[in-house]
Amino acid sequence: MKGWHVATIVVILGIIGLFYAGLGRDPRSIPSVLVGKEAPVFSGPDVQSGEILALDAYKGKVIVLNFWASWCQECRLEHQNLLAIHRQFRNYPDFVMLGIDYQDQPGDAIVFLNSFGSTYPHVRDIKGTIAIDYGVYGVPETFVIDSHGMIRFKYVGPIVGPVYTQITDQIIRPLLEGKELQR
Amino acid sequence: MIIEIGYFAVIIALMVSIAGILTPLIGLKTGNPAWIRAGRQAVTANFILLSLGCGTLIYSFLSHDFSVKYVAMNSNSRLPVFYTVSALWGGHEGSLLFWAWILAAFAALAAWLHWKTHPATMPYLLIIESSLTAGFLALIVFLSSPFERVFPVPAEGMDLNPLLQDPGMVFHPPFLYLGYVGFSIPFSFALAALLSGRLGEEWIRATHRWTLFSWIMLTFGILMGGYWAYYELGWGGYWAWDPVENASFMPWLVGTAFLHSVMVQEKRKMFKVWNLFLIIVTFSLSLLGTFLVRSGILSSVHAFANDPGRGVYILIFMSTVLILSFGILIIRSNRLKGKIEMDSIVSRESAFLFNNLFFLIATATVFLGTLYPLLVDTLYGTKLTVGAPYYNKVFLPIVLVILILMGIAPMIAWRKASKENIRKNFLIPAVIAMAGAVISAILGIRQIYPLAAAAIVCFVAATIVIDLYKNSSYWADHSGTNLLKGLYKAWYHNQRRYGGLVTHVGVLVMILGIIGSSAYKLEKTIILKPGDEFTLGHYSYKFQGLQDVQGINWQGVESLFNVYEGNYFVAEMRPQKRFYTGGSQMPTTEAAIQPRHMGDLYLSMTDITQDGWITVMAFQNPLIHWIWYGGGIMGLGVVLILFKRKRRES
Repeated sequence: MKGWHVATIVVILGIIGLFYAGLGRDPRSIPSVLVGKEAPVFSGPDVQSGEILALDAYKGKVIVLNFWASWCQECRLEHQNLLAIHRQFRNYPDFVMLGIDYQDQPGDAIVFLNSFGSTYPHVRDIKGTIAIDYGVYGVPETFVIDSHGMIRFKYVGPIVGPVYTQITDQIIRPLLEGKELQR
Repeated sequence: MIIEIGYFAVIIALMVSIAGILTPLIGLKTGNPAWIRAGRQAVTANFILLSLGCGTLIYSFLSHDFSVKYVAMNSNSRLPVFYTVSALWGGHEGSLLFWAWILAAFAALAAWLHWKTHPATMPYLLIIESSLTAGFLALIVFLSSPFERVFPVPAEGMDLNPLLQDPGMVFHPPFLYLGYVGFSIPFSFALAALLSGRLGEEWIRATHRWTLFSWIMLTFGILMGGYWAYYELGWGGYWAWDPVENASFMPWLVGTAFLHSVMVQEKRKMFKVWNLFLIIVTFSLSLLGTFLVRSGILSSVHAFANDPGRGVYILIFMSTVLILSFGILIIRSNRLKGKIEMDSIVSRESAFLFNNLFFLIATATVFLGTLYPLLVDTLYGTKLTVGAPYYNKVFLPIVLVILILMGIAPMIAWRKASKENIRKNFLIPAVIAMAGAVISAILGIRQIYPLAAAAIVCFVAATIVIDLYKNSSYWADHSGTNLLKGLYKAWYHNQRRYGGLVTHVGVLVMILGIIGSSAYKLEKTIILKPGDEFTLGHYSYKFQGLQDVQGINWQGVESLFNVYEGNYFVAEMRPQKRFYTGGSQMPTTEAAIQPRHMGDLYLSMTDITQDGWITVMAFQNPLIHWIWYGGGIMGLGVVLILFKRKRRES
């Protein structure tokens, strides 16, 4: 064995090991400074009915907030999964799900909801101010707020694949059942 | 029905490629050439089968068969025909199929081209190429098939990602794949040389053109990606050190090192292990690029499908290739003893060696920058990104050294350069470089890197011009003709050298373009209402107003700008914001680009408010055209070498 033999083997095994370790991670789960902070309050018109909805009204509940837009391709991808999350937890009295329709034409948003289905309310955020308060990079992004009004989880990107079970089993369910989240 | 034929063809191709691994293996054991010939039939059959596979998918696209999931996800009925065909490689599954198709095409071509000339290499080549094909086909068949049906059948497709609906994007992936996959042939030859023990210069001569071809395709692929980013993404730049850009750049860097170091082996029989090492690294990095792109392991603008299952498969596949090929190299390289020692540090050999070293250091720099975020995330769980400042700081000095070597290596003598040789070749260029630096300083260039680069470009250009002049006049004297004919004769007698020098000129032109467009770029972001005016550099831009525009499958808004230089009207510019009417109404930005003195005036409209105010990013990118011209000249240089005429000895 010469020096370069050892070096080559170490480098190759190192790279493979690093990739293996990295595969389980999601480069897009960006830790937000908002996690652990109080959720910014907001209010805005409901996309479909136009009546004003406010976050304050849901004090003491576990809230899933999903930022989306009709022009966003990935939002279509996750939409059925969001409906499934809502189906799964809708019987818990303390569960609330809210969509935030981000910088969208109201007509387009209604067409989107009519064609893909809607079982929970959506708030219009035409000027993007709610998104700014929540530090949204781009849609879709999803937040989970606990019963004390604290943001406990944030995910950037569509809720598809492993993150679906992560958000339902490790975040929403424990919060609803009053258990501590595993970190 | 049609699509099932394609699917079936690909499944058979997978089986055929496994047969293609086994039959040459049996041929090697038994010594019966019929088995090896069966291996050749296998790669040929694979090419036909995969052509059928791609063909049925294209047919499904053209006939808008949205019952095919991949077609429904990547096209719709309003998509122009041109993009409907290119949608074949618009998504993950189709890209892989297309990759496998190119691999099969190259494998078959190599088998037929080198069948008579390299019989001893052939069984190994066939085994390796078939293994690679089998690896990709297994991924397609088991984990990411573009042939899947979807039920219920959607009435309309989702549309091709609007960002990809662009001529630049149509050709960018194929060229990259041609480069990546092309390197598999020299790679296979190298492994074949190791396995068969025929470790002379044969494999290098045989793959000379394959290497050059792959290299120039990769060069074009990277450039097209840059060009596309430049006019489609609207941030005024062409290169962002994004992980996926880096993934294509790394094989290019090592491939370039390989391209040069093989010359030393041909001329001086040195660097034998080194060359094998380089080509294995080059192809490994091509696979690594595919892995990075397809596994979604790194966060990137190119974030495609993020599927851990595929990631695991590609990782296993890549690890197998890495371990086997480097393993073979390590075990077999003991047979190679570098017989010839370096005569002197001042020689062409050592200039090439330094060229190689610096290319590898450059690669390591990019590699570390690309993987560092992953490393930190894995070890400490902290997210970070490595951006342009790191690369500029570390990469630029390396490039400058490589540029200096580019001037020295082609001119310095082999073995040991005498003082006379050095004085004769480099004294005048050194003086010209000084003069270049002084003139640049007088012209107002004050930053250290552009100044150094300008001096080095002058140096290299001078070495090339002087060399051309000397040789042309030699041939002109020799045959009693004029200089121009002498130049032709000089080129005719050493096409490879002069093709290489032309490519170097292309590099110089490109470097000037890069310096101009990065160090002297002007930019400004402003909010305007109709009637407003702003200035950037020597130009003033008057915002006239907004108007609606419409394309075949998009609607949009464009803003009208009148551009003046002083009182002289230069042009009207119309940056657009488009909304594709297909499945995705994702807004895209179409920058307005006005060529001006080899550079561009560039406007990109990022936002429109309801009251008609707009946000505009304005750029002035001097000399940016030189980057694309440089690429063209590099291509010309390679063509000059590739289409080398057989010299008849008279």
